[in-house]
Amino acid sequence: MALFMLTMTPPVSSGITTMSKRSTALSCGGLGTALSLALLAAPLPGQTELLYKLDTRCSVKGAEPVACTVEAVNEGTATLYRHRIGNETTTVRISDTPVRMALWDASSKQWQSLKRASARFSANTVCFNGRQLCVVNPNYLNSVREGNPAGMAQRDLVKVNFGADGRINASCYDDGCEVTLK
Amino acid sequence: MTPRTQLTGWLLLSSLAMPFGAAEALASSVPGMPGGTSAHQAPDALLLARGGGGGRGGGGGRGGGGAHRAGGGGAHRPQTGFQAAGGGLDRGSAKPSGGWSNRLSSDKARPSLDRPVAQRDGNRNLNRDVNRDVNRDLSRNVNRDVNRNVNRDINRDIDRNWNRKVDINGVNLYPGWARPGWGVARPWNYGWYGGWNTPTWGWWGARAAAWGVGALATAAIINDAVDDAVDDHVSYIVVPNSDYQLLYGTVSPTSSTSVSFDVTANGSTYQLTADCSAGTLNGREPGSPADAELLNAACQVAYGST
Repeated sequence: MALFMLTMTPPVSSGITTMSKRSTALSCGGLGTALSLALLAAPLPGQTELLYKLDTRCSVKGAEPVACTVEAVNEGTATLYRHRIGNETTTVRISDTPVRMALWDASSKQWQSLKRASARFSANTVCFNGRQLCVVNPNYLNSVREGNPAGMAQRDLVKVNFGADGRINASCYDDGCEVTLK
Repeated sequence: MTPRTQLTGWLLLSSLAMPFGAAEALASSVPGMPGGTSAHQAPDALLLARGGGGGRGGGGGRGGGGAHRAGGGGAHRPQTGFQAAGGGLDRGSAKPSGGWSNRLSSDKARPSLDRPVAQRDGNRNLNRDVNRDVNRDLSRNVNRDVNRNVNRDINRDIDRNWNRKVDINGVNLYPGWARPGWGVARPWNYGWYGGWNTPTWGWWGARAAAWGVGALATAAIINDAVDDAVDDHVSYIVVPNSDYQLLYGTVSPTSSTSVSFDVTANGSTYQLTADCSAGTLNGREPGSPADAELLNAACQVAYGST
């Protein structure tokens, strides 16, 4: 799928604002209205926070696994997952409330909504758009697990499908994913 | 009221007035305020979610229905049956209790949507059977020959040395890594423990001979017990040849060789520490085969290959 013919990352605004920098700004106090406006506008676009960098393995379009690096970065209300495989970077953006997933298309310089995403906990694997990009990312799955412990208990395979509006319009678990609904 | 408390109060008021995303972002940017690691809200507006079935057999008593309330689903909301219709995946940005891993320690990890059944199911039935037989055989002998005395020792040790009781209600028994694939999901370095025919602990030889014990439970047996517990959503494994219940999800490294963990014995739960390299429990050499098995099981869960 052309969506995955990516060679560059989406534009990221320069200033990576660390928590310490921001807390310093807050502790200075007395900034009154300016500070209020800044906080009301939070999260500020372009502010990023590196969650982790994971050396792992990826597979593109079902090919043999290769070494890759995942950088998870919070940016505003979304988390960007930059998968660096050799010289190429594939970036997936996941936002919540509601959950949306999108892929950066370097050619059109736009985010393209994913069609579907899947995860297999026992293999610590997350795949986007079928098996176009699969990555071993236990960090992501550990977080998902803790985010909804009751819902995820005894689940292994999870699939979500995105509608034309980019929102989840179907999800399934385990052998429920073999059910065909009309 | 100091300027600082004024600011704090304003921040709280402001965050109340903000939409969720903004408040969360604000909280995560202010030291001392929870937010960045807070629990996710349940994804909303899910049109369809099918429950049912674990990966292997599912159904029955497992999961399935809509009786669960999705994370934080409001105590005063009516039960519509759809609260549990979780979307399955979320943003994945909330730091799990075990922290973030920076590298995969296992060379075996491969991206795949297929359940890694090759080594698992092949061994599973075998191990289950073997485990049962082993436990039955060993337990009979051990229990008959040793356990009477051991239990006396255990009780004495619990009174004397296991002095840190834990209220299990306040314990997170299911951290994010304690799930299918836990071996790779453990967010710390592992893989160095075990792999020997007999433990390398200095005290092992003489003491094992005195106990009449030739070997401890294998890594495969312990791994399989954890796999089964995860699949069945049970928070503990029964430590082989003992009456101990190891709460595997509480295993947490405290250094590169030591771990802390919770164990239930005689109806109470205790927090213990183990040095997997030196072979000590709460700083002491194990006083019984059961203690040695407990040490071995905790170390395997923490640092063993899977």
